[in-house]
Amino acid sequence: MTAVQRSPAASPASPAASEAGPPGTRAPGAPARRAGRPPLRRRLVPRTNVARIRAFTAAIVVALAAALAATWLAIDDARDGVRVIGHDAGPQVVATGDLYFALTDMDAQLANALLVGRTADLGITRAQAVGRYDADRRQAGTALLQAARLADETSEEKTARDLLEALGRYERLAGQALQLDDQSAHAAGPPNAKVVELYRQATDLMKLDLLPKAYNLTLDNGTLVRHTYEDERSAVLTGVIWVIVTGLVLVALLVGLQLSLAVRFRRLLNPALALATVGVLALTVASTLMLTAQAGDLRRAKEDGFDSILALSRARAIGNSANADQTRYLLDPGRSDTYEQVFLTKSQSVMYLRAGNLAAYNQALQGVPSGQGGPKYLGFLGTEAARAQAGPGQRQALGRVLEDWKRFQQDDRQIRELTAAGRRGQAIGVRTGTAARDFAAYDASLVKLIQIHRTAFDRAVDDGDGGSRGWELGLPVVGVAVLALLWVGVRPRLAEYR
Amino acid sequence: MRARRTTAALAALAAAALGAAGCGVTGAEDDSILGKDTLTIGVSPDQPGLGQLTGSTREGFDIDVAREVAKRLGVDASSLRFKNVTSASREEMLERGEVDLVVATYSITPERKTRVAFAGPYYVAHQDILVRGETTDIRNVRNLAGKRLCEVPGSVSFPRVTKEKGIAAVSAQASGYSDCLAKLQAGQLDAVSTDDLILAGLAAQALKSGGRPLKIVNSPFTDEPYGIGVRKDDTDGCEAVNKAITTMYQDGTAPKLLNKWFRLSRLDVVTTVPQFEGCD
Repeated sequence: MTAVQRSPAASPASPAASEAGPPGTRAPGAPARRAGRPPLRRRLVPRTNVARIRAFTAAIVVALAAALAATWLAIDDARDGVRVIGHDAGPQVVATGDLYFALTDMDAQLANALLVGRTADLGITRAQAVGRYDADRRQAGTALLQAARLADETSEEKTARDLLEALGRYERLAGQALQLDDQSAHAAGPPNAKVVELYRQATDLMKLDLLPKAYNLTLDNGTLVRHTYEDERSAVLTGVIWVIVTGLVLVALLVGLQLSLAVRFRRLLNPALALATVGVLALTVASTLMLTAQAGDLRRAKEDGFDSILALSRARAIGNSANADQTRYLLDPGRSDTYEQVFLTKSQSVMYLRAGNLAAYNQALQGVPSGQGGPKYLGFLGTEAARAQAGPGQRQALGRVLEDWKRFQQDDRQIRELTAAGRRGQAIGVRTGTAARDFAAYDASLVKLIQIHRTAFDRAVDDGDGGSRGWELGLPVVGVAVLALLWVGVRPRLAEYR
Repeated sequence: MRARRTTAALAALAAAALGAAGCGVTGAEDDSILGKDTLTIGVSPDQPGLGQLTGSTREGFDIDVAREVAKRLGVDASSLRFKNVTSASREEMLERGEVDLVVATYSITPERKTRVAFAGPYYVAHQDILVRGETTDIRNVRNLAGKRLCEVPGSVSFPRVTKEKGIAAVSAQASGYSDCLAKLQAGQLDAVSTDDLILAGLAAQALKSGGRPLKIVNSPFTDEPYGIGVRKDDTDGCEAVNKAITTMYQDGTAPKLLNKWFRLSRLDVVTTVPQFEGCD
């Protein structure tokens, strides 16, 4: 059974043997060294069978540890990425997006309350508007707290503090305007000059101070998520390379040991080692596939989910504030040119078509087909249209948003034409009736589109969570199994030298 | 023999994989303005109060903003270079890497955003109207109907009033905005309309050189968000510039600079940080 070629007869004093093997081991088969060989070489290359087998075995154990560690670390990175984007900062940043919306809606509801006065048969009553204002204020407070908690740099913390302070000033002005307006009890239409002056101060504070800071804070928070995403994803992809490299080194060593045994002991195959080799190969392939999938899940969660949700939430907030500019246009005739201008600017940031004034914008907009094709447009909706399909129904939902946006803009035309013709009362009727309903429909369609991305986001995060499940158990099990097979494969051979 | 070849092949594969890993880690960040020791910033040479080159000195609001941003990016003044840009060359010079940043009354528009990224805006300018000090009948853009308004060929400001706003102003041609100013002072036209910061810069210059007093009407009718142009894919650099702008407003530097350059012309400047465009 044994196939020892060279009898174990070398001198125990052989330096190669004594270095390669533990003390007390007999070193078999070391031929007499030729003089003149560099001593370094002698030390690096094991010159006996036992030493060679031992060296291979030790290298395999080290490589196995490295491969398992590389896989473990890459899985850890992937989980970190999924945790931050899917469960931690990601959803929180999305929540801070509500801050901008809540603030614009506060100002919009304040304008509504001041515009409708004591008239009760319009689409909205003063009490309803004030009620929504209060609800918005509470939502803004919650979102601001959230955003402040996410702030990780002093400049961001300062922005959050400034916001809180400015919100206090805004509320004081809004309270004064509402109180003063209450005393005059006017019908629907512009309130008295003092109220308009107070509202101007409030809305300027909102436009110039609060909203920019809220927006910038959300951008900063988004940066946090982007950095985590980029770091973790690149760590996972680098991890995949390491998993492949360590896996291949391990396989090479196992094959090397196999060949070494075959030559020295004239055996065709060591079944235990062969099994270990297959196991390692399978583990490497499985780890690579799993980690690549994790990187893919991260990308989908970030790009199809998070990015779109954030961008569309911004579009929603800006659209809402454009809607309020319609009210302001009717509320404050002295500034109607300015409000008309900002309405155009905001409309163009939602959906950009080259146009110098609202009439031209509306004309260009009505010519855009809601299906695919047609002229290319930019802005938030343009980015969304250029995006790859994130989930079922995305195209149709976007088409719906576009249709509703067109209708809202058409109402706007009507309001401005009525106002220009001196029929402000009728314009207010359209504003609080048809236009308000059409805007609500547009907003609902947009929310539905956001929901599609939300679903895509949740699915990617779920896949990410599920993809690496069980690996913390699987890895040690595979490690122990390979070690056991190695032991089973090598021990009998070494025993032959006893 | 075969075993050795297999091992060699595996080793080669491993080496290739390692090499690839090395590339994957660095790669994209190489061209960011972050980590550059020197910066080249594109500015206008001929905008009084904003970016003006006289002899070898440059001065103006844009120049000061550029210097502040560079400082906050960790580039010291001696490593900062300026280069002239024109409206037509800005995108191309950024794309070719001839300039790292552009601070030159550069309005952010969706079309431009398809080619460059914009940090900021660092200020939202508005189209406004400049008249002689004694003029009282021009209080907003509508009052320009029937008035002689300066028209500079190639500039969008005049058609904005006449075509887009539909206001029947009378065209009074001039070769450039400095020429408009001279004609306004000479009484050859009634009003000049373009971005308020440009008007304020012109008015301040006129005032210093002892011309007739001029005033800005302070009735803005467009938004011109002045951004800082950054190469399109340099998101990290763009965000760092945003951070620099934020701190410039927080520590009072931006309000100080606005006052320095535009107080003289009595323009109502906004001293709170503008709403950023976002870098991605």
